[in-house]
Amino acid sequence: MKKKRFRVKNVMDCVWTYGVLIGVCFVFFFPVLWLLLASFSQSGSIYDIEGFFPDKFSLASYSRLFTDTTMYDYPNWLKNTLFVAVLSSAIGTILVILTAYTISRFEFKSRKMLMKSALILNMFPSFMGMTAVYLIMVNFNLINQLWSLILIYAAGAPMGYLVQKGYFDTISTTIYEAARIDGAGNIRIFKDITLPLSKPIIVYTALTQFAWPWSDFILPNLLLKNKDLWTVAVGLTHLDETQFTRFAAGSVFIAVPIVTLYFILSKYLVAGVSAGAVKE
Amino acid sequence: MKTKRNYWKAGICVKASMLIMGAGQLLLKQWVKGFLYLSVLAAYLCYAVTGGIKDAIGFFTLGTTKADPWLGIEGDDSVMMLLKGLLFFIITIIVIFIYVSNVKDAYDCWEKVKAGEKLPGFFKSVGKYMDKKFYVVALALPIVGVLIFNILPIVFMILISFTNYGGDIVPPELVDWVGIDNFIRILSLSEIKDTFFKILLWNLVWAFLATFINYFGGLLLALLLNKKCVKGKAFWRAFPILAYAVPGFITLLGFKFMFSYGGPVNYYITMNGGNAVGFLDIDAGLTAKIIGLLVNAWITIPTSMLLATGILSNMNTDLYEAASIDGASKWKQFIKITLPFVIFSTTPVLITNFIGNFNNFGVFYFLRGGLYNDGYFLASDTDLLINWLYNLSIDNNYYGIGAALSLIIFVITSIFSLFVYVQSAAYKKEDTFR
Repeated sequence: MKKKRFRVKNVMDCVWTYGVLIGVCFVFFFPVLWLLLASFSQSGSIYDIEGFFPDKFSLASYSRLFTDTTMYDYPNWLKNTLFVAVLSSAIGTILVILTAYTISRFEFKSRKMLMKSALILNMFPSFMGMTAVYLIMVNFNLINQLWSLILIYAAGAPMGYLVQKGYFDTISTTIYEAARIDGAGNIRIFKDITLPLSKPIIVYTALTQFAWPWSDFILPNLLLKNKDLWTVAVGLTHLDETQFTRFAAGSVFIAVPIVTLYFILSKYLVAGVSAGAVKE
Repeated sequence: MKTKRNYWKAGICVKASMLIMGAGQLLLKQWVKGFLYLSVLAAYLCYAVTGGIKDAIGFFTLGTTKADPWLGIEGDDSVMMLLKGLLFFIITIIVIFIYVSNVKDAYDCWEKVKAGEKLPGFFKSVGKYMDKKFYVVALALPIVGVLIFNILPIVFMILISFTNYGGDIVPPELVDWVGIDNFIRILSLSEIKDTFFKILLWNLVWAFLATFINYFGGLLLALLLNKKCVKGKAFWRAFPILAYAVPGFITLLGFKFMFSYGGPVNYYITMNGGNAVGFLDIDAGLTAKIIGLLVNAWITIPTSMLLATGILSNMNTDLYEAASIDGASKWKQFIKITLPFVIFSTTPVLITNFIGNFNNFGVFYFLRGGLYNDGYFLASDTDLLINWLYNLSIDNNYYGIGAALSLIIFVITSIFSLFVYVQSAAYKKEDTFR
């Protein structure tokens, strides 16, 4: 008798758990679904959509995105974004891997000092120095240059070296000692042993370094005043209510690669979030 | 490590290096190295004479001649002078470092010669250096990058906060050092002071509320997903991860559209006979604040959920079994076991989240950017300090006051950061809970 009542209680518990879960997931899913369906709407303005979801669907918004480019040159924005994201990812990854590997592997005098200063610098939001970056760029005439964006992204990357350092810390030291005994120098060890062993972390770093400029708005908005140089993030903020479905289509187009990427990386996410928690 | 270098008892070549960079190396017939050191010194002296010293003086005067197009006088560009002066000091510091390394190197070479060893050739010693000091070579580029793009701007910003740069005073007008005038103005000039304290208060309220909602929202969601009866955890977890993965600016702009006049929310209101509501309008302070909190929760709860999931998976489940045997209720288990454990392991994160929320630029920039309320100096009632900073320095060119404001924000955040640092140090030492 007692056991049965226990079971009933369990079922009730389960029911409300699922109820809440469905509610929460609905809240998270609904806005995404709304934007997704709006991007397939036939009309362009938000005023033409009755309620949340359109009743007629077409690919008109997407084709307009890529063909009607006189006012809003989406292909060009995409090209700029891709250029900035790919190059800053490449340079940033090299810098992060070098930093993390050296800090993890070598004992030297200023190591602790470097780690501490990185920790302290990381605690300050990156927006803090942004005005100064802007003023310096204006004074040296580096504004309206995609390259200055790339340099800023790549140079800021080593500050988030902790995840990568954690990875290098797990590689056993015996393999390095063996290589040392065989007479390999530090450069060879790095090239022939470390790099092949650290493929997963390099992929992870490259992808996260790509995702940041891909979806950043503040920096490009600050440094790119020329309409031809806009990135997707800057361009999309200039769309008003009458261009709503264009915004939706442009957003979906740029969000799909990132979302896919996050799902591929989701097993790393927990580790990344907890290690990067000191950052932000 | 060798015995301590005693430079005063060293040979003539070391003293020569102290006097002229590279001279000692040349005396020891280290030609390439010697000439390299010598050319660094020559280049530096040349730079100092042709422009460097003038730049250094300009750093202090910030220009004396004002431009006058009528008389054809090309005036001084104060900001450029500030930057050039800064550059001169940085180069000088670098040269001093090279100078020290030069003396050390001369001493090492001299010692080797004294011991009768043969000195290695230049290229051989470079190769050896690259191997022995691999970390220097590897870290050089990242450190230079961080110096130029992270630290230099901060230094420049600090300097600007002590000038009257901005407003009407931008080149060709002359900028001057004004000491702590900007800080005094923020804290005492009536209009700016009122705005500052009003925004500071709201900023603190916002940071507390947002952190509280996000932290406990994420924790509860993680606990819910962790329950034994929930099947297909990966499926349920996918929804928050989806929200987490959508770029922030898209989410924020999307929500702005959702609450706009033509948006779906207003559509239903007007269809049911109501009047369209300007949720994010200039006079909609409270609704805008609430919408901001909710949207921010939508964006950040997934992150804290992931974090809490990670921490809960490290948790020892024996405690729960012991507790159920002792007859503790679920609620009691949560209060007595889960909550202390999670809070204990996440205190540093909690405070960094607080700082993140304190400086959350995006939410109100995207939802309500560019609005200025009455009674505020270039700000709206939802703006946080960081938004005000943006309005002041980027949109309205009040660089000096903006820089001073960012230093004030910096001090406020660094107090919290210091707390994090102390906390995390304590956290590392304490394994007692687990």
